[in-house]
Amino acid sequence: MSAVDDDLAFTGAARQAALVREKRVSPVELVTAYLERIERLDGRLRAFITVCRESALAAAARAEAEAARGNWRGPLHGIPFAVKDQLDTAGVLTTAGSALLRTNIPAADSTVVARLKAAGAILLGKLNLTEFALGGTIRFPYGQPRNPWNPEHDPGGSSSGSGIAAAAALCSITLGEDTGGSVRSPASYCGAVGLRPTWGRVSRHGCFPAAWSMDQVGPLTRTVEDAALVLGLIAGYDAKDPLTSRAAVADYCGALTGGATGLRIGVIAELVDGADTQMQVRAAVREASRGLADLGAAVEDVSLPLVPLAGAVFMALCDSEAAGRHKGWLSERAEEYDQGTRRRLVTAGLIPAVAVHRAARARALIREQVLEALGKFDLLLAPTSPHPAPAIASHTAPVTSKEEAGARFFGRRSYTTPASLAGVPAISVPCGFTSGGLPIGLQLIGRPFAECAVLRAADAWEKAAGLASRRPPLAAAGAPL
Amino acid sequence: MADLTLEDVRRLAASLSLPVTRDDAAEIAHRLNAFLDALAALDALPLEQVEPLPTRPEGSA
Repeated sequence: MSAVDDDLAFTGAARQAALVREKRVSPVELVTAYLERIERLDGRLRAFITVCRESALAAAARAEAEAARGNWRGPLHGIPFAVKDQLDTAGVLTTAGSALLRTNIPAADSTVVARLKAAGAILLGKLNLTEFALGGTIRFPYGQPRNPWNPEHDPGGSSSGSGIAAAAALCSITLGEDTGGSVRSPASYCGAVGLRPTWGRVSRHGCFPAAWSMDQVGPLTRTVEDAALVLGLIAGYDAKDPLTSRAAVADYCGALTGGATGLRIGVIAELVDGADTQMQVRAAVREASRGLADLGAAVEDVSLPLVPLAGAVFMALCDSEAAGRHKGWLSERAEEYDQGTRRRLVTAGLIPAVAVHRAARARALIREQVLEALGKFDLLLAPTSPHPAPAIASHTAPVTSKEEAGARFFGRRSYTTPASLAGVPAISVPCGFTSGGLPIGLQLIGRPFAECAVLRAADAWEKAAGLASRRPPLAAAGAPL
Repeated sequence: MADLTLEDVRRLAASLSLPVTRDDAAEIAHRLNAFLDALAALDALPLEQVEPLPTRPEGSA
């Protein structure tokens, strides 16, 4: 592949769509470029579970012929996309990252996949994830996903392949699903942009569920502009998901003004200055908050004392629901689960109902605290994760004490789950790199259905920081050439 | 509250038909005890002041 092809692969989807419309790039060129990159890099990165090579090339040829006739399907005409393998795709294997679903081929597309196809996008493949989107997988049945910035490190989860594919430019755009941070964490670890929309903003029809009151599909992309573009196409009421909102879909791309003037931003002190937050992460996030002030925002610290409890509260609610859903398979096919998933689900099945009920009430308290702060501020700002991507080996080792279990499973989740528990939108956008070259993510949390403010601030920061043009050193990091 | 022992966890799981292998038992006990500690700490909060609604009704202030 030439440097020109690599440049095309890393170009944002919005720009690619414009190039296709100007007939300076063809859909076949785009699909071919990504297939070549997948062949070259994904043997090591393992972002994909299924690559739809033949159908993508055929769709690209059709899109090219349609373009020649001036027949445009929509804003993503001829643009390749890939989705987390938790989302149903008609006639294409959909495993949810589990060996239990190794032969599952849905008859119909999930709503979000159907909407992207209707906009002219071409399905390139299905992306790797932690088993059943739960996190904590020890042995991935479809290959160990690896961080493009350092393959010995975790890419984050549960939308692991979506984060990898966006950051390593293995397709134009990706979709993930975020219950407690599953879009934002891989975005943070991989140096991509990951948006969790307001709960109910995007249809979950055809998405294997984790926790009904928190599951939300969102884009993982290389730029904030692409996230805004994708959200505008997948958002909106869906009769097949009765919990979607009928609120009007905003002009998200139109909200990207390049500035942050007039926005009031509260910096969550418990997360930025918390004992778990590593020094390099704190420094990068504080630097970003100063950068947003330079862009016109009014920035000050805010205290949300219940936020450190969010991780445990989230896991009690999410995991107990998952344990109920998996009870039949756990009893009959336990050996087919990954060991990490099985331990997580069995544990959750043993949590007393009284404790789960306490967690449900605590969730309401946390939500009210987040919403009260969002009454004063337009946005809340925090690190997406207290640390950069950990080494894969460090988080697959056995847990040897309850203290270690608490620190490992609850601590980092308290950074992303406040937005999940409150049902509000949140984005992770790169805000720096560690001295070891691993990305650091900045999280911006907004009011319900105020994605425009979230995207506007993230876009302004992204452009000012100039980090979106940085590419992972794939060859130097050990990926095969 | 005293931590649950490995034997407690095995009996509890057996009563609920949940599979606990020899390899899994110790880690499940650690995870469950971590949950019980974390959730017991919630008793210090004014939990009775709120209803356990998973979401706010759309359109509510």
